[in-house]
Amino acid sequence: MLYHSIRDRLLVLRGASLGLGAAFVLVLAPTTALAQNEPPDPEFRTSYGEMTFPEQFPDGTAISLTQWSHFVPRYDEWFQEYAQQWGEAHNVEVTVNMINLADLTSTLSASIAAEEGATVFEMVAPPTAFIDGLQSLADVNQAAAEAFGERSGTCERSSYLPATDTWYGFCHGWVPDPGDYRRSLWDDAGFPEGPVTYQDLLEGGAKIFEDNGLPVAVGMSPEIDSEFYARALIWSYGGSIQDEDGNVTFDSPEVLEAVRFQKELFENAMTPEVFSWNAASNNQTFIGGRASYIQNSISFYRSAQESAPEIAADTGFRPGLQGPGGEVKMPSHVWFIDVIPSYVTDPDELAAAKKFMLDLENNYASASYYSKFYNFPAFPSRSEQLFAEDGWLSDDPWGAEPPDKLGLLRTAEEWTAWLGYPGYANPAISEVYESHLLSSMMADVARGEKTPEEAIADTNAEIEEIFAKWRDRGMIGSGGD
Amino acid sequence: MNAGPTGSDRAAPTRPDGALARLALALERPRVLGALMLAPAVLYVVAFVAVPFFIAIALSMSDATVGDPQIDTFVGLDNFIAVVSQSGFRLALRNSLLITTLTVLILLVLATTAVELLARDFRGKRLVQVLFMIPWAMPVSLSAITWLWVLDSQYSPIDWVLVQIGLLGPGGTFGPSWNLFYLGREGLAIASIVLVDVWRTLPLATIIVLAGRLSIPRERLEQAQLDGAGFFRILFRIIIPALAPVLTVAILFTALLVIGEMSTIALLTRGGPGHSTQILPFWAYLKGINSGDLGQGAAIALFLFPVLLAAAIVALRFAYRAGRD
Repeated sequence: MLYHSIRDRLLVLRGASLGLGAAFVLVLAPTTALAQNEPPDPEFRTSYGEMTFPEQFPDGTAISLTQWSHFVPRYDEWFQEYAQQWGEAHNVEVTVNMINLADLTSTLSASIAAEEGATVFEMVAPPTAFIDGLQSLADVNQAAAEAFGERSGTCERSSYLPATDTWYGFCHGWVPDPGDYRRSLWDDAGFPEGPVTYQDLLEGGAKIFEDNGLPVAVGMSPEIDSEFYARALIWSYGGSIQDEDGNVTFDSPEVLEAVRFQKELFENAMTPEVFSWNAASNNQTFIGGRASYIQNSISFYRSAQESAPEIAADTGFRPGLQGPGGEVKMPSHVWFIDVIPSYVTDPDELAAAKKFMLDLENNYASASYYSKFYNFPAFPSRSEQLFAEDGWLSDDPWGAEPPDKLGLLRTAEEWTAWLGYPGYANPAISEVYESHLLSSMMADVARGEKTPEEAIADTNAEIEEIFAKWRDRGMIGSGGD
Repeated sequence: MNAGPTGSDRAAPTRPDGALARLALALERPRVLGALMLAPAVLYVVAFVAVPFFIAIALSMSDATVGDPQIDTFVGLDNFIAVVSQSGFRLALRNSLLITTLTVLILLVLATTAVELLARDFRGKRLVQVLFMIPWAMPVSLSAITWLWVLDSQYSPIDWVLVQIGLLGPGGTFGPSWNLFYLGREGLAIASIVLVDVWRTLPLATIIVLAGRLSIPRERLEQAQLDGAGFFRILFRIIIPALAPVLTVAILFTALLVIGEMSTIALLTRGGPGHSTQILPFWAYLKGINSGDLGQGAAIALFLFPVLLAAAIVALRFAYRAGRD
């Protein structure tokens, strides 16, 4: 039977199974550990909401996880240990395959086509085009909501498709994408708090470029960071690709203003190098001391702490930049979306995989901590130490100077959007993202290949076509019609 | 004394009995042996060329996605019509042809030149031959990453040299910037890709052409020299005409290699700036795998097939006729 034992008690396992007395002590650990500087020991429960699981799975139960090699290596070390610990505690053989981020989609695609492969894939962007080949994880999402409470908006909208009422994934975490600036340069330029608005970015960035030759380093290349920057700019200017119901809204005055701004920014504060960047380029440029501003997650900062401490010390963070209307929206930089392909049919394997997902979320304080606060939990209640007023982000245990340098990330949920903002992610939104339409549009305008009006009209036509294609397949819409 | 075999001792030819004997007899028939010898190659072509090719055709006329790869809905030429309207596709088509043509033209010149060098005896020839083969022996990804560093927007050693000799930087011939941004400007980016493709495929083209060059009788070249023909006259009147069939094969092989290769683009520019260095194989990958539309991806990948097939047939016929003459 799939979930054959119904138990309400909590069990805490560390290494091998422990007794109930020890479990009682460890269940209290999260509360007591709040005052300390490290996450509590892992806690493996036997029920989440209405889902219940056995303490031990039958002999021979095995799951395999395929996920990306994390940008913060310490996380991968922790995850491997955690996975083995979880496996030993549950009599499950756990295999973790860590692959290059760029290979995730092709690997999942090949596995679905071959009807063979890993039990769980951890995708970094909503895998909406794969929905037909994935299992519904409605039960896991419902159980998590019941057990953990409020879910972050960026995670919900990146794992649920309203058009088909499908929970195609379980998003266990996400990554904030702040603005990152060189404090000394911006201080000299007259912006001691760094750029607050996009207008500041233009004025201050141009002055720094003129005085020091150091450009604003936001990409306009076919890669994810450039796509995220384009979205942040458009959203903060009030534009969007679609509305909440999946109608295309791209050809708008707000988008036009955003594109015009980007052309002006390029002409005054940037160099052509941004047209050929890959996802690591802006990090490297910033760490190399050759950029005044980038938009990126904090993994570059953790690298800089070790390889370029003077740059790390001179780094400041902004919660995005305000558009003309004062609105600030930044994308999530990465989502951690677990999916289970349809070819996984063994009941014990399925149950073990689902329990692994829920247990990981339950212990997300450790995931956040060992990713050096790159990972944010889908359910904020699972990492209270991260958000607490005197918590990790306010007093960084990984050596940030000053210790509250990352403190602004406590409000990240407020200014973080998602790929389909203001609607849900869907296959059309994913195709627009994967085809690099927005970064290419920005590049065409900045290089003078097209006027902003032409570029938007052309891009809008392609977006409309993509939406029409997926709408015909029933994948677009709010689901209410 | 040992008596020789008598007539009655000699075995009369009889039908072989036993499975092995019958098999041996069957293998002596040319038709059976020929079919068996060809079988592995035929099986290989069927399994790894024909089947994937027909699956690709079926995919291109279906609505298959990465989530539902079943080929169960026929959509005719819809996918081909849809991809033609994409600006990324049009640029990819242009660039695939442009990059391949430029690469092949440069290869022709360089391979012919290199062959003239390698056909002669000189000290260190073995070492030169080994060095010459290295680009071909290196994995594409490794060589592209090396080139990525050479062409880096900020740390390019080429830029450093240009700055040192005063051609780059404030007051320099190439402008005030300290960098040329090879991969960030359309013309330079395409030139960079052609450069990497030439560097990578030159050894193959050279080896093919060298085989043809060494088959030209030495007496024929010596006779021409005795008759007073100079280097270029011998090259254009004797060597190149004699090499025509081999050059055709070299052009065909390298062109097919370059036009179907996406690693160089994927690692160097990912199709940027904008879509200005996009090529068909990479666009097919982005649309078919990353974006999930297997049907459109297959349509993009197959788009040039009729042209390439016709070009290959013409080229091989030409090579065959030239070789026969």
